[in-house]
Amino acid sequence: MSTLVNIQQASRTIKSGGNSINLLDSIDLKVNEGDFISLMGPSGSGKSTLLNCIGMLDNFTEGNYTFLDEPVHKMKEKNRVKLYQEYIGFVFQAYHLIDELTVEENIETPLLYKNVKSKERKALVADMLDRFNIVGKKKLFPEQLSGGQQQLVGIARALVATPKLILADEPTGNLNSKQSQEIMELFAKLNNEGVTIIQATHSEENASYGSRIVNLLDGSIVKS
Amino acid sequence: MFKNYLKIAWRNLLKNKVYSLINIAGLAIGMTATILIALWIFDELDRDNNFDNKATIAQVYQHQTINGRTGTGPAIPRPLEFALRKDYGDNFKHLIMSSWNQSRYLQFGDINLSFSGNFMQQGVADMLQLNIVKGDKDGLKDKSSILISESTAKALFNKQNPIGKIVKLDNRDNFSVVAVYEDLPESSSFSDTRFIAHWDFYLASQGWIENSKTRWGNNSFQMFAQINDNTTMEGVTAKIIDVKKKASPNEVEFNPQIFLLPMKDWYLRSNFENGVQTGGRIENVWLFGIIGAFVLLLACINFVNLSTARSEKRALEVGIRKSIGSKRGQLVSQFLSESFLIVVLAFVVAVGLTLLFLNGFNELAMKEITFPWLKGKFWLASFVFIIITSVLAGSYPALYLSSFNPVTVLKGTFKVGRYSSLPRKILVVGQFSVSVALIIGTLVVINQIDFAKNRPVGYNKEGLIQIPTFSSDFTGKAETIRTQFLASGAAVEMATTSSPTTQVWSNRSGYIWDGKPEGFQEDFAHTSVSYDFVEALGLKIIEGRAFSRDFPSDSTAVILNKTAVDYMGITDPIGKFIRDDSENDPAPPLKIIGVIDDMIVQSPYTPVKQAMYVFDAYGNFSYFNVRLNPEKSTSANLEIIERVFKENFPNLPFIYQFVDEQYGRKFRSQERVANLSQVFTILAIFISCLGLFGLASFVAEQRTKEIGVRKTLGASVSQLWMLLSKDFLKLVFISLIVGSPIAYYMMTKWLQKFPYRTDISWSVFVMACSGAIVITLLTVSYQAIKSATTNPVDSLRTE
Repeated sequence: MSTLVNIQQASRTIKSGGNSINLLDSIDLKVNEGDFISLMGPSGSGKSTLLNCIGMLDNFTEGNYTFLDEPVHKMKEKNRVKLYQEYIGFVFQAYHLIDELTVEENIETPLLYKNVKSKERKALVADMLDRFNIVGKKKLFPEQLSGGQQQLVGIARALVATPKLILADEPTGNLNSKQSQEIMELFAKLNNEGVTIIQATHSEENASYGSRIVNLLDGSIVKS
Repeated sequence: MFKNYLKIAWRNLLKNKVYSLINIAGLAIGMTATILIALWIFDELDRDNNFDNKATIAQVYQHQTINGRTGTGPAIPRPLEFALRKDYGDNFKHLIMSSWNQSRYLQFGDINLSFSGNFMQQGVADMLQLNIVKGDKDGLKDKSSILISESTAKALFNKQNPIGKIVKLDNRDNFSVVAVYEDLPESSSFSDTRFIAHWDFYLASQGWIENSKTRWGNNSFQMFAQINDNTTMEGVTAKIIDVKKKASPNEVEFNPQIFLLPMKDWYLRSNFENGVQTGGRIENVWLFGIIGAFVLLLACINFVNLSTARSEKRALEVGIRKSIGSKRGQLVSQFLSESFLIVVLAFVVAVGLTLLFLNGFNELAMKEITFPWLKGKFWLASFVFIIITSVLAGSYPALYLSSFNPVTVLKGTFKVGRYSSLPRKILVVGQFSVSVALIIGTLVVINQIDFAKNRPVGYNKEGLIQIPTFSSDFTGKAETIRTQFLASGAAVEMATTSSPTTQVWSNRSGYIWDGKPEGFQEDFAHTSVSYDFVEALGLKIIEGRAFSRDFPSDSTAVILNKTAVDYMGITDPIGKFIRDDSENDPAPPLKIIGVIDDMIVQSPYTPVKQAMYVFDAYGNFSYFNVRLNPEKSTSANLEIIERVFKENFPNLPFIYQFVDEQYGRKFRSQERVANLSQVFTILAIFISCLGLFGLASFVAEQRTKEIGVRKTLGASVSQLWMLLSKDFLKLVFISLIVGSPIAYYMMTKWLQKFPYRTDISWSVFVMACSGAIVITLLTVSYQAIKSATTNPVDSLRTE
């Protein structure tokens, strides 16, 4: 298994009113392709920050971060976006679908940003709709869907550009237990198909779907 | 991609209807104003573009310096023609002497109508590229030939072939029609030339014209020129500038300079001040161009303000898009496409509004602009205009919105900072400063016009008509007509004059008087008048008396105006003499018998010129001035006067003008400026208010929770109203402080061009300020009161 993410001695420090706060402190983390990692820890322990930094929405302020042997910490914004368009998909607790777009269009959007041709886009979107059994809902807007359905669309959107890594931040936080179970089973299935997943979660049950648990406390990894 | 952008933009529009409406309406109104102004400007600039040879046509002008002041005008003496032809002829393709455009009667059979036209030299048809529809292009050969326009031909001959037919000019002289030309368009300087008769006829028609052949001092004619292709206007001017000085030593003291005024300057840049070309209508072109740009800018500011104010709502979308792989440039493109869509929609609405208001605008601007549906240039310009507006309105919001950090936005803790509304506030201040400046400017223009209108004219212009009497049929008939008019009961007095009441047609010099300073170069407005002149016009005698039939010696008497007495520097003028200073055959001396209070004849904005009113001993009159009977209705009076007129002159049409109307024309161009700036000021205010309304509703929405809390703490509706309105009032106060001095400076400068001018009174500022405050309160209060009266239980629950 090749290494997908390699983080060494990475920290994230911010300044707030004269004090500097360590959001992340000397993190070492290696993620191999095919891993399903669960980040756990209390609120404010740095789970989301770590996810955002891995996802390149945020930056480590210190340390090294290589993604597929590319040194992310040395890259320019433009190249980072390219890398991340290519290999990373995000799933959010609050789904974060675009309200003004239909299910179909929401799923299509990442492909637009990757400048995929129209025909190919249509085919990929149709595949996703099929795969998640939401063909009948493709013309609906997010507000017309239940939370579980919205999260399905969110995952479909994250997957449509065939990323190597899915980053999921409390993906079931807004869902009831039945819906949660379905989503987690879906993640497990995706993982079996070879997609690497990192999720942040509070739930032991959700974490149990993963192959490895990373515990965070006050910005540091407790044990791995 | 672009399609996707437009799709989401369209859905956003539908979702936020009020916001979209404000945005589109504001932009559409701004664009309408800009389109109308642009059409007006292009119409102004399009003047004389019907001439392909426009660049080579000029009018010969002259500077002359009298008492240290240089005057400039198109009036030139006849010998100039011969000098130019003889010594400089190879510079010109054509030199065309011309009379002044004047109304004349043309008669064919029973039809006798008045047309304006000129007497000109052969070659004019070629110079003006007249499109000859019938007859001979070079037909203007002998002195009884005449060219007529198509409209003239239709009026006189209806469907008959006019070529070779004889028309009678002014009921006396026969002319043979040699050609019919297509009427020149309205935008042409020669549009009202509806006939062209031969110059030689004009020369022979009156003794003084014939005698002017060698008189360099008689500047009574005009000359047009077309220069050769291998020369330039400046080059020819440089050659001919001193031609008059060289030819006539007598004129050297006036430093006459002859030059060519190119056709492109005739309409737009014909003003001269002390020998320097100072502009003219081009100033209004600039003025309205700037106003148009500002109105558009105000509309764009609305767009910017509303877009950034709504940024919290759009922030989440930005975060999501960034998290699923959007580059910043792609977001910028998306927001620019959104503004493009809104601008296109606004443009469509603006075209509709333009069509709707074009007639009214034409009336206001005294234009005949049609919508340029078929002009490719217009649509090209529109496209560029749309792009520019989109960028202007959309780029700041696009850059601002696309800069959000996805992490903070997606966390849901995103709040725009305390100072994020600062650019918005600055823009609002900018908007209102422009509005305030426009209000002040418009008020000053209106005040100035009122001020000039209220200036005492020195005579009674109400109930006074003037009847032009150019035909020789009138010669010797004035006394009889007067008796008949008075006997008919329709008129209470009548006098003849050699020029209309509202114009000076003759300026004269060559006088001496006791006490005249050495080297004084005099220049008087000169009018010949009959008995009863003072009575008919209602002039005020301040010294001496009016002309009277009781004094036979009044045939060599003169009445001066008050300014003339001061100008000449004489005291006790009554009984003194003004003499002709020519050495051979001097005219008899003129005895001053009376002084009248100044009468405004020329511009109501300038001081009254020194004038002499001499007794018209030769019957050289051009107008009957008839004082209507105030006891009767105007229409009844006119009916009777027309009847009497027709009894005496059955072949002449009865033409008359109301003197007060003629006087009113002097205000036209300024009134036009006032009307247009009023309209654009109202538009600017409306657009600014629209933006303010949008911002107010946004702020009210943002502060819903705060208002709810305050209400539960016991705040009253009026306290809340104050709270919400205060912020906006503050901005308006700052605008007043910014806008007022700018307006004061600009308008002080504008007023400089009127020697007779009003001061900018403080009341103008008070009006503008209170107006701005009232308008702001009205705009903001709707939202403020609406949210202040909302039940706090509702507003707090929704949070």
